Parts: sequence; structure tokens; C-alpha cells
Amino acid sequence: MDNYSLTGNRDTVATPAKLILRVMKITYFLLTVCLVQVFAETSAQKLTIQREQVGLRNIFSEIRNQTGYSVVYSVKHIERMPTVTVSFTDMDINEAMTRILEGLPLDFVITGKEIVIKEKPGVWRASDTRRDLELQQQTISGRVLDEHGNPLQGAAVRIKGSQQEVSTGSDGRFTFNNVERNAVIVISFVGYETRELAASADLTSLTMKPIVADLSEVVVVGYGTQRKSDITGAVSSIRAEDFNKGANATFDQLIAGKAAGVQFIQSSGEPGGGVAVRIRGASSVNAGTSPLYVIDGLPIDNSSVAGGGGANFDAPPSPRNPLAGINPEDIESIEILKDASATAIYGSRGANGVIMVTTKKGKAGRNTVSYSGSYGQQQVANTIDLLSTAEYIQVINALIDAGGGPETNRITDANVVGTDWQAQVFDNNASIQNHSLAFSGGSEQTRYYFALNAFDQGGILKNTAFSRYAAKLNISSRITDRLEVGTALNVSYSHDEQVPSGFGINAQSGAMYTALNFDPTLPIYDNDGNYQLSSFLDMDNPMSLVNEARATSNAYRTFGTAYAQFKITPYLTAKVNAGGDINNRRRDVYVGQKTRRAMAAGGSGSVLNGMLGNYLLEGTITYDRRWEHHYLNVMGGATTQRFVYTSSSQNADGFPSDVTGSDNLGLGDQETFRMGTNRAANRLLSYLGRVNYELNNKYLFTASLRADGSSRFGINNRFGFFPSFALGWKLTEEDFMQDVSVFSELKPRLSWGQTGNQEIGNYSALTTFGGGPSAILDDRLSVGTQPARYPNPDLKWETTEQLNAGIDFGLFNGRISGSVDYFTKTTFDMLFELPIPSSTGYPTRLSNVGSIRNRGWEFGVNSNNLTGNLKWNTQLNLAVLANEVLNIGQDNPIISGGAGQTTGVFILQPGSPLFSFYGWEIDGIWQTDDDFSVTRDAVAPGDIKYRDVNNDGTVNGEDRVLLGNAFPKLTWSVGNQFSYRGFNLSIFLDGVSGVKMLNNNLVESYFPVSFRRNRYAELYLNRWTPENPSNRYPSFVNPGGQGDKRVNSYTVEDASYTRIRNMSLSYRFSPGLTYLKNVAVSFSVENLATFTNYSGFDPSINPNGGAFNRIDYNAYPLARTWMIGLTADF
Amino acid sequence: MNTNHILIIRRLRHLIGMLVLVFSTAGCEKYLEEPVYSEMDPESLLATEAGVNSLLNSTFGELFLSGWDGKSRINLENWCTDIEWETDGGENLIATQMINFTWDASLASNWLNNILWLRPYRAIRNANLLLENIDRGTYDAARKATYLAEARFMRALAYVKMYSWFGPVPLRTSSDDPLELGRATDDAMKAFIESELQSVVAELPLPGDEANYGRPNRGAALATLCKFYLNTKQWEKAVDAANSIIALDTYRLYPEYGQLFRVENERNSEFILVFPQSPQGGGNNYINGALPPGFQRSPEMGLEFRSGWQNWAAQYRLYDRFYNSFTSADKRKNLIMTSYINGAGQTVSLLNDNNTRAIKFWPDPNAIVNEHGNDLPEIRYADILLAKAEALAELNWPNQEAVDLVNQIRERAGLVGDDAVLLTDFPGLQAFRDHLLNERAWEFYGEAGIRREDLIRFGKFVSSAHERGKTNARETHTRFPIPQDAIDADPSLEQNEGY
Repeated sequence: MDNYSLTGNRDTVATPAKLILRVMKITYFLLTVCLVQVFAETSAQKLTIQREQVGLRNIFSEIRNQTGYSVVYSVKHIERMPTVTVSFTDMDINEAMTRILEGLPLDFVITGKEIVIKEKPGVWRASDTRRDLELQQQTISGRVLDEHGNPLQGAAVRIKGSQQEVSTGSDGRFTFNNVERNAVIVISFVGYETRELAASADLTSLTMKPIVADLSEVVVVGYGTQRKSDITGAVSSIRAEDFNKGANATFDQLIAGKAAGVQFIQSSGEPGGGVAVRIRGASSVNAGTSPLYVIDGLPIDNSSVAGGGGANFDAPPSPRNPLAGINPEDIESIEILKDASATAIYGSRGANGVIMVTTKKGKAGRNTVSYSGSYGQQQVANTIDLLSTAEYIQVINALIDAGGGPETNRITDANVVGTDWQAQVFDNNASIQNHSLAFSGGSEQTRYYFALNAFDQGGILKNTAFSRYAAKLNISSRITDRLEVGTALNVSYSHDEQVPSGFGINAQSGAMYTALNFDPTLPIYDNDGNYQLSSFLDMDNPMSLVNEARATSNAYRTFGTAYAQFKITPYLTAKVNAGGDINNRRRDVYVGQKTRRAMAAGGSGSVLNGMLGNYLLEGTITYDRRWEHHYLNVMGGATTQRFVYTSSSQNADGFPSDVTGSDNLGLGDQETFRMGTNRAANRLLSYLGRVNYELNNKYLFTASLRADGSSRFGINNRFGFFPSFALGWKLTEEDFMQDVSVFSELKPRLSWGQTGNQEIGNYSALTTFGGGPSAILDDRLSVGTQPARYPNPDLKWETTEQLNAGIDFGLFNGRISGSVDYFTKTTFDMLFELPIPSSTGYPTRLSNVGSIRNRGWEFGVNSNNLTGNLKWNTQLNLAVLANEVLNIGQDNPIISGGAGQTTGVFILQPGSPLFSFYGWEIDGIWQTDDDFSVTRDAVAPGDIKYRDVNNDGTVNGEDRVLLGNAFPKLTWSVGNQFSYRGFNLSIFLDGVSGVKMLNNNLVESYFPVSFRRNRYAELYLNRWTPENPSNRYPSFVNPGGQGDKRVNSYTVEDASYTRIRNMSLSYRFSPGLTYLKNVAVSFSVENLATFTNYSGFDPSINPNGGAFNRIDYNAYPLARTWMIGLTADF
Repeated sequence: MNTNHILIIRRLRHLIGMLVLVFSTAGCEKYLEEPVYSEMDPESLLATEAGVNSLLNSTFGELFLSGWDGKSRINLENWCTDIEWETDGGENLIATQMINFTWDASLASNWLNNILWLRPYRAIRNANLLLENIDRGTYDAARKATYLAEARFMRALAYVKMYSWFGPVPLRTSSDDPLELGRATDDAMKAFIESELQSVVAELPLPGDEANYGRPNRGAALATLCKFYLNTKQWEKAVDAANSIIALDTYRLYPEYGQLFRVENERNSEFILVFPQSPQGGGNNYINGALPPGFQRSPEMGLEFRSGWQNWAAQYRLYDRFYNSFTSADKRKNLIMTSYINGAGQTVSLLNDNNTRAIKFWPDPNAIVNEHGNDLPEIRYADILLAKAEALAELNWPNQEAVDLVNQIRERAGLVGDDAVLLTDFPGLQAFRDHLLNERAWEFYGEAGIRREDLIRFGKFVSSAHERGKTNARETHTRFPIPQDAIDADPSLEQNEGY
């Protein structure tokens, strides 16, 4: 046992944490030993059954439990069979089956892991004459009806085990030729339970049963699967058929708005632009708040790769969407693990929730080829109402008349044509198209899914685009009855094109900023054909940025897992899983000499390379057994993962010509060459275990524990321990509920658990030196180094404790189903940049202090309002969230955040939500007859009247108040689907209310950086003048006169909205061709309409990145997309 | 069991054995050691001379303000004086507070906290680390002595600057000082600065002997000491320090005031302590705000705008009262732009609108975007001569030597003969003081920090503000508030009175 003691441990005192770790290690060892021993005893499948007078179904399920073999039978075959009495011990399965079916008109075949029950030829009792007739038939025909007796068109009918398949016609009829005598036919239709019956049965009217609420649905959870009905945690499961329709470039768009308590905030409308996903609020200030993504069992790292800016090209404020390389069409289901019972198995990375993505697998027995394609056009959903050329001239001159601007800025040329810069930079004919071709199928032994995808999207901002080419391969093979191996691989190449569009200001401002601020009286080109510049404006011509400054990225990503699963005994399975994710990206940036920003430099070129890799190795052992009134599933395992990041960058200026762009940086001026490289890594080592226990199919119990070690933490606190417990009670299984027929499901759940957060970057616990400011010695830069941080060797996990109480319900035989959850999620030992006396030279030190709480209600319901010929289904999600900072380790508030020249946006203080806006309340406008003696500040009629909160006669930093926050009071979504025969109409709406956002572009209209910039029309056309004594808009004669008060109750706007996110109409039919089974055509509109009071491009976007630190600045607006689509199954 | 099974089981056993090895025998604590690749361990870094140099570079880089921070520091110090003000641009909202004396401790933290507080304290931290770790390496004793002296000088200079901005501040002289550290007493602060500067004078190389242009030398230490004595009104010591500088016999007044601040003349015999600037990053940004709107050329100055230069929205303007105070023969006012021709070809007058511009830091032909290479003189020889004049006069009035020193400065400005001043022009010490304050304005306008210190030293900071109609100005404003962020993070730190 020496190997399993804590070798190398410097500390001999066994702390409780270390004890737990030791116990887990020993458990793991014992499991391993058991496993090795079990191998030795492995033998052929044996059965032991002693039962009297039981139905065949019970016997079959016993066989399944003991052997893991599934018994396949048609209910029709066995429902009329008498009960049987069997008694045998350790009998070979073949022999046992013969014994069980003795005397019955049934036979069986064992293929692979399936025991198929068939009728014995020649013992058919229904009608001998009829049987004889049918057996002789070579052709069969039938008719498929829905639950109301109406014909079902387009249902797939196939002969089991053969390639023969037809679709039903408009009358619901189908016909097969050359049918074998013992054939079994399988009828399937989306939304209905699949039926299987003998070809010899009566096929004249086959009524299909709709799937109302499939309670036996399997849900993917961490390191395993569970029946949905047995789940004790809060898990949202979204299957392919429920995904958002339309143009979904990235997989997060599939489920945006679909799960209560999950927020998707796009940081940019650009193709492939970033998105922030937040599950149940935000529980950390400085550590990450993004969920963990697990794709087919591989936890992936979503950090951006080579995401920087480049010389003269400001870095995008938020990274590109790292998931853009994945084809959404390959996804079978997405599970969102929300509470600690579900996420604690991911320990140190579970605090922000987990998003599990499962890709499509082939289905045995049926080889299909399917094509899906779509084409669409995009346009800008909303532009900002700025002053038009004529309005601008009028306003600028009127302001000069009023003394609000220098005389030299007056516009005297009456014949100015001018330019609408927004109309110039936007492309309202940007196309989008997507084509996928998928091959899937397989045999009982080997199943495959192979798909190819091409996606191309032009951006609504000119010269921006994103395209992706991806291939997906999933194969699993049952090599023997016991051993299964498989792999899930994803390879993609993606390409994107950007123009500068960040938070840079003035000379560094990007295309969106200049489009909103550039002088509208100027043409695009001057008389010499150069881009027109303004001597009044320190910024580029918007079109020069769009045309002459480009960043293109090429990203290659390969990720996947390979597993081997071995059934040691019928109950015990071992699995080894290895995986990797390699993400390579090269970003080429070139800013041409025709731009003002790179004119003097003679063009600026940069190349950024990045590689992000992660490697996973894990082993798990699962014991799964159902017996008598019990069900037990025990899983234990160990896993390790290592993440490596490398990057390099090269910059050069001064090129002889723009022609080579960034493809030959060596041509630049040697004096300007700059380079940088970086390498960092971190690793995790974890032990995990979980027990699921079920008594009488009524009482559910789950417990899990993960011990997680990370290299990111201090030597004293490498390991963290994350336990969880959950209880569930299937009330509807209780006797006393049998008479309450209204409930088809009623399951209260209760869970508690702790999860962690380690997203703080590498090496935060160490004293190291990194790059510091350079010295200028002999007129050259001399590189400097200085301490990178104030180290904290005691640094450890941030821990989040979550209590969840919920209830799953089904009403009226499942026509209405849903769940309600209440949670309270409290983070403590928060990883926090705690301010320390800054006279040390370090303003903060990353420490484990402070606490944040998120509380909320989530409500989801699915209702089948109409189930007749015309079907109507409604899905409703509601979530209420409250966030509160409880403690930040000190009494004083911390004011932070900013964009452009705006600083001090948010206040962090106990008792208030995170990222609360902090600024001045505006009480209106100073009017001529106001009493000016109440203030010592230099104000005049027409100036903004800031509230003097402390009544000291001056409005300064002490008069700031809370101005709201971005945690929504309510988020909601409603999806409605109507279907009639092959037609389907879906309408999806969503919205939030009670959300605030700082509109930093509006800030610049209130406080113009320079006089000749363009501004919001509404403000200036309705401004205060002696003739129009507005109490809403100031005179703008002296906008800066009261100092820096950019963050105020005017510029922090209400960002609540209601949106028709998607409308889609489709028609699905079977053309009745043997090689083309089903065809569906669709028409959809995305982002059809938004109802909001917000004055920026879009209230749902956060260019600042993240979800709750909301600052809108130079947003790349969202598109409205019109699409047609075609799918065909061959 | 068939043979196939046995084979598979054997393979699986092997795999599981490997897994066990990975997870257990390696010892997980050790397994979780991840090497640091792109950052350096301080012990090995500081054992090398190159490492010590790189830490020293960051000490210079933090304190020798340049780029946007360098410009903003000039702004913060100058907008509250009687020479300069500002309109337009994003920074106008900060400027308004400085001009109108409505600033408080919450003033935008990227201005007040970062530039005037965090940067000097990072320089102090770096210097302390260097002093504590330099013994790890073994190298030439003389060079080591120079590094020590440079670090001590930089630390003292940081405290001199902060003393001017905030008054006494926490005096950190070691990495082991307690985390919470209250403000030093005025005496302790002054004593530390004085003794440190005095003791590095002999250790620092003579001007011109420093390893690189831009590193501190003996002259810089003496000049810093001289100005510190002057600002703390230790007149005798100020005279002694000035004499020591003069005795170095290195420094001269540059003959042409109009050429002194051009990038090509920045290495001259007049600049004693400079904050070096470079177009490659960390340049002089002042000119971007000094050029008037739509500036194309100024025939009177011979300046023409080049494409690629920046002309910010922000407007750094001089008061007419200041411009009009020059005598007509004074060459120094020739660096002030009073009219220009804009993009539309119009001639725009800047006079009578408090709108003249200091074009002292003549734009660098090789500027890159905002960055011009003109080094910022922190202390010039002219300053030392005027300091000596002031100190001599304070010690012993009437004083011909003091008047002669003033005339040295005026002579270079073209003010000779009738324009020279005479002892008899000054009926008393106060008259001489009044003249000195003006002389210093004419000489040093547009340069960092000097005017604010002069006004405070002459007791005119608040009264001159009141004369400009800035009625909010109070004695409190002679010191900047300790940044609110710093106050919040250290309970032992007391705010300046009145904030």
C-alpha cells in the first residue's frame, strides 16, 4: 500500500481535507483491485431466477438487470401470454430462455446484446385461414393513422433488418413488395411512438400514439446518463427538435432563450461573434463566470486563441466565439446542469453550471443520408437615429449661435451633399448559407455518424465575414459482448474577417465608432480620390477603416474523445476515456497606408499565432444494478487534464506598399519590428464518485463527491473537495396518489452541494516577474521587468454552495408538464482582487475573501394545447433572479469599470448587486426662473440639473447614487408551435425586464469629445432653448461645464425588451420516391422585431463582454435574417 | 472464457495499471507542479546583472512618465494654474474639474490614482526590491554601486514628486514594511528625501559618464535636491546645492530658447533631469492637444501640419493674461501660437479668446501617431539659476547676485540692455519675488509641474485662482487629495485636510 499513501507530502498532519482525499484514493485503489480480481472470475452469461406466476415482462426485465441484455419484444406478442413460473440457478442464458418460453407460442434469437422474442411459426392462433393467406402473400399494404383516425402522411415504414423503407402517402397508405414471411415492420413518425409489428398482423388501420411526455427519456449527466424521471437535480435538457430554428452559426444560438435561468448575452452581432452564457446569475467578481462546456465527455477550454488586436488595430473588447468551429447540426442534445447536485461531479469547474453537448450517433439497422441546407439574406435590424446632414448643419450652426461652439466650426456651405455613414458601412444584402450532409447508420455491432458541413456568413458591416468547414465522425463498435470502443471526432477549419470595431477612441476608433461620429457633411473621397478626412476630427474616415484595415483569422480545431468500455460483470462496467482538443489560430492584421491611423507609420502589419491544447485521460468504474425494490448505481473514477497555451506575435510598420499585407512582414522597417511569445499551462488531477439509489421506484437519493487538485493554487491548498446530496420523491408512484388522476408526474426534489471555481489564470499563487514598463535609454526602449503580482501561496478554490428545491410535474396524462425550481447559490472564499494598501506598489492581491449570493425562481412548462388534426404546443420559460454582494472583505466600496473615456461605472459594495451602476441622478434641466442660489456650481439655464444628494451646494463624487444593474428582474420566453398535416409554424418570443445598460455612445452625444462629431438626433432636435424650455434635454451649450458626470440616470438606460426572435414556417412531405424519403422546406425570419425603450443598436447585446457588466459601446448590431431552408432524407 | 476475452482482459489490466500509476504513484502534489514558462523567478532573475538592469528599467519606466500618462500628469499640474486651461475632447470633463477647483478624491482614477499614486509607488517597490536583492549576484563593485545609487535616487525622486502632489505619504523603504502604513510625518519625509539624495550624489556618475543617456547622474541628484530645498524653503541649502551644480561646470544655458525643446536638440547642456520620451512608445503627447482645431500651418511660427500627426479634439489653451504679460522683445513668447491657417484656408486668430497655444515641444518629424520624441525636461539649468536667485534673495535682500542670475536668463530670452532688470527696479524683496514669479512663468510655461509649485511656494496659488474667478479654490487645493481608492484600501491612511 505504500504507493497509495501521500508520498511527497510535506505536512504530516492529516487535515480533514487530506483525510477525505486519502479515503478517496484508497477507495479508488480498492475499486481498481476489485476490478482486476473480477476479471479473473468472468464467465459466460448465467441467469438465476426463481419466480412464481409472474408475467413475461417481469421476467424479461429481470434478465435485463442480471445480464445487461435487452429483451426486444412486441407488446402484442406477449400481452396475451399467461403468467409463468420459473426456477433455475446459474443457468446459461440460451437454456434459460428456452425454459422460460417453454409451452408458449414464442421463440427467441440472441444477437449481440439483444434477445429478440418472435412468434413461433405455425402456432398462430388468431385465424388460421387468415394466417395462411397472409404468409403466402408477397405484398403487404397498410394504412397509418394518427390518434384521431386521420391519415398520417410521411410516416416512415421499414422492414426491420432490411434496407426496405417507404413513406406513407397523403392517404396514410403504404405498400411493400417481396416481404419475407417472418418480417417485422417498423413505423415511425416524429412526435409519435415508434411501432413495431409483424408483417402478418392486421395492418388496415394502424393508429399511432403521440409522444406526450416521454418520461423514460434519457438525460446526459456528468460521467453517465440517467432516466429523466429519476433525476434529482436541476437539469434542462434540450433536444435537437426543440432547438431554435433558422440560421444558427454556433451552438449557443440553438438554445438561446430555451432554458429558464440561462442567459445568453451576445457581445457582438458580427458573424462568429462572442457570446456570454451565464447560468443562474454571476457568483464571482474576478474569477470566471462562464459555465463549463463538456462535449461528448471532454471538458473544453473556451479561452480565446490569438484574440488580440495587432498594430494599429484595437483588440476586440470581447473574444470571438470559441465554439464557432462546431457545426450545430451535429448536435443531438444539450443538457444544462444548473444545481450543485448535477454539477458537483465537475468539482472545481462546476460553480457556473455545466453545459453538456452530445453529438449525434448512428442508429442500428438503418443507413440514411440526409442533406440540410439553407440560404438567407441579412440586414441591419436597427440603426441609430443620428442627425442627418441637414439637421447636423442646422444644429451645429445653432449651437455656435448660442455660444456653444467656436465660430470656426460653422458650416457655411449651403450645398453640402454629405454622407449617411451608417448607410455606407452597413451591407443590407449580406448572405448567409449553410449546407450539411450527414451519413449515419450501422449494424448491431458498429454504428456510425459522419457529417460534413459548410457554413458561410457575410457580415452586415462591410468586409466582415465568417465561414466554417467541418467534419464530424462518431463511431462506436461492440467488439465483443463485453467490450465496446468508440470515438467522437470533430475537425474544423474556420475563417473570419474583421474590420476594426472595438473600444478604441479618437485616432484608434473603429468602424462603428466613426460611422456614428464622423462628420455627415463630408463625402467619402476627396477631390484627389483619397479618403476624406476632417481637420476638425481626430479620427479615420469610416470607409477607410472598412476598406483598408483588415484582420483575417484562420483557425483549425480538432477535438475528440476515444473510449473503451468493458462490462466486467453484468453489473460492473469499466470505462477508459481519452481526449484532446487542439485549437490553432493565426490572425493576420494589416492596416493600410490610406488610413489616417497607419499613414505616418507607412502601413502596420501583425501576425498573431496561438495554440490552445488540452489533453484528458480518465477512468471510471460503474456498478449498476436493479433488484427487488432497489436500484443502485455507483460510479467512481479518476481523471486528469492538462491545458497548454502558447502564443507568438510579430508586428512591423513601414511597408513599401500595401500589396503584401501581413504576408511579408520582413519588408517593413526593421526599426519597428516587435515580437512577443508566451507559454503557460495548468493541470488538474481529480478523483470522483457518485451514488444513485432508488427505493421502490419512489424514493430517489443521489450523492457525489469530487476531489480536485489544480496547479493554479497555492502549495498549501492544491486540493478542493466538492460534495453534493439530493433527494427526490416520485409522489405519483405512491398508493395514495393513484386516485388523483390529474397528475401523471409529481416529483419534489431537494439538493445541496458545493462546487468550485478556479478560473483565475495561471500562476496566481506564485511570485514571478513579468514584463514591466520599458525605460527609454539612449532614445530606445529598454525592456523592463517587475513583479507580476503580490503572491498568495494560500490561494484556493472559490466555493459556491447551492441549495435547490424543485418539483417536476405532469398534468392530464402528460399534456402539460414542467418544473419549478427555487435556488439559492452562495459563493464564499471568493477569488477576489482584494484592494491592499497600494503604497506597496500593488493595488490588489488575489485572495479568498468575500461572498456573493444569487437567488431565484425558474419555471418551465410545456403544454400540448391542441392535439387533434391541428396541433398547438406552447413552451414557456420564466426566471426571476436576484444578486447580492454579501461581503468583499472590507467596508469600503470599490468603483471600477469603463469604456472609452468613461471610468468608474460600477460600484461593488455589500448589500448591492454586482456591477451596480453608480453615478448621478438627473432631476431635469435648469430653467431660467430656477433658484440658482442653491448651488455653487457653474450652471446656467439649459444645463443638466444633477441631484445634490447631500445638499452641500455642489455636486461632486459624494452625490453619486445607485442607478440599477443588469441582473434581470424577469427573463422569459414563449415558444408556440402549430402543426397541421405536414405544415409547421413556430413563433418564438423572448424578453427581459428590469435590466440597465450604460450606453456609452449616448454618453458621447451628451458630452461630445469634439464639437464637429455627429450626435443622436432626438437629443439635439429637442434640446433646451429659451424658446423650447425642455426639462428633458439640455441646451448642449456647455456640456462639459459640470465635470465628469458621464455615468448618470440618462446614459444608464433601461435595456428591457420583448423580441420576436424567430418565426418559421415549414412543410414536410414525402415525394413518394424510393430514393428520396422525406423532404421539408422552410421559411424563417430571425430577429423579426424588438420592442424596447433602449436607444442603442440593441438592448440584448453587451460589447463589453460578459453578461452583467453591461456597457454598450460601438456595438456591432444584430442582423435580421430571412432564410429559406431545405432538408431531404435519402 | 475464450482466448479472445483473456487477451482483452490482459490488455485492459495493463491499461488500468498505467492509470493507477499516473494517478497514484507519481504523487499528486508533485504531479500538480506546473512549470512557469514565460515569467521569471525573482531569485534567479535578480542574481544576474541583466536581471537587475531590467528591474531598474521598469523603475525608470514607472516614474519617468511618458505617453498618455506623461501628458495627463502635465495637465493635472497645469490646469489649476494661471497659465493654462483646456476645452473640448474627452478629457475636458476632467479638465473642468481641475480648472474650476471642483476636483475631489474620486477624480477619475486613471488620472489621479494611476498616474500620481500607483506609478510612483510601483517605482518605489521596484527600487526597494533591487536594493534588497542586488547582493544575490556577483559583479563589478563600481557598477553595483551605481545600480544601488540609481535605485535610491529613483525612490527619492518618487517621494519628492509625491511630496509635492500630496504632502507627506507613507514612506516605504523596504518590502518588509507592514502592509498598512500610515503617512510619514513631514519631518521624517523631508529627512529621508534629503539624506537619500545627499548620499547618492557621490555615487552617481558625473553628467555624461552615465551608461546610457536617460539614466540619472550626479547633476540630476543635485538638481532634485536643490529644487526640493527650494520648495521646502531651505534657502541656504538650496544655494549650496545650486552652487554644487554650477561647480560641476557642465551645464550651460542653451543659446536659443526657441530651439531648446526640439527633438533634435534634446541632448543639450541645459537639461539636467529629463523624463525621456520616444516615438516608439511612451512619447511626448502634449503637442497633440496644443495644435488648434483644423490646424494646417502657422506662417508666423514656420510650422506646417504633416499627415500622420495627430490633432486631438482636446484643446490646451493659454490665458490671454499670461500671453499679454510678456514684453514684446521676449523671444520666449515666440513659441506661443497666436494665429494659424485652418483646413479651409481661413486665418484664425487665437488671441483675445484665452486660446493661444504653447508650441514649445515642436512636433517631431518622426512622430508615430500620438508619440513625439521630445524629451520632457524635469529640471533645467535655468531653473537652478533662478532657484539660486530666489534663495539668495530670501536669505539676504537686496542682492545683486540674485538680480544678475535673473538677467542671465533674460539675456538668453533676448532681454538685454533696457530690458535687463536692475536691482533698483525692485523696491523691496516682495517686488523681486513678484518679478521672479513672472520670470519663472515666462521661462517655464507648458513644462510639467513648475508653475503649480511656484504659485504654492510664493503663496499665490489660491489668490491667483480667485483672481481668475475660480472661487472654489481653497488652501486645501495646494495638495491633491489622496486617491479615494488608496484611502479605501488602507485604514491607516489619512486624507488631506479639507477633502
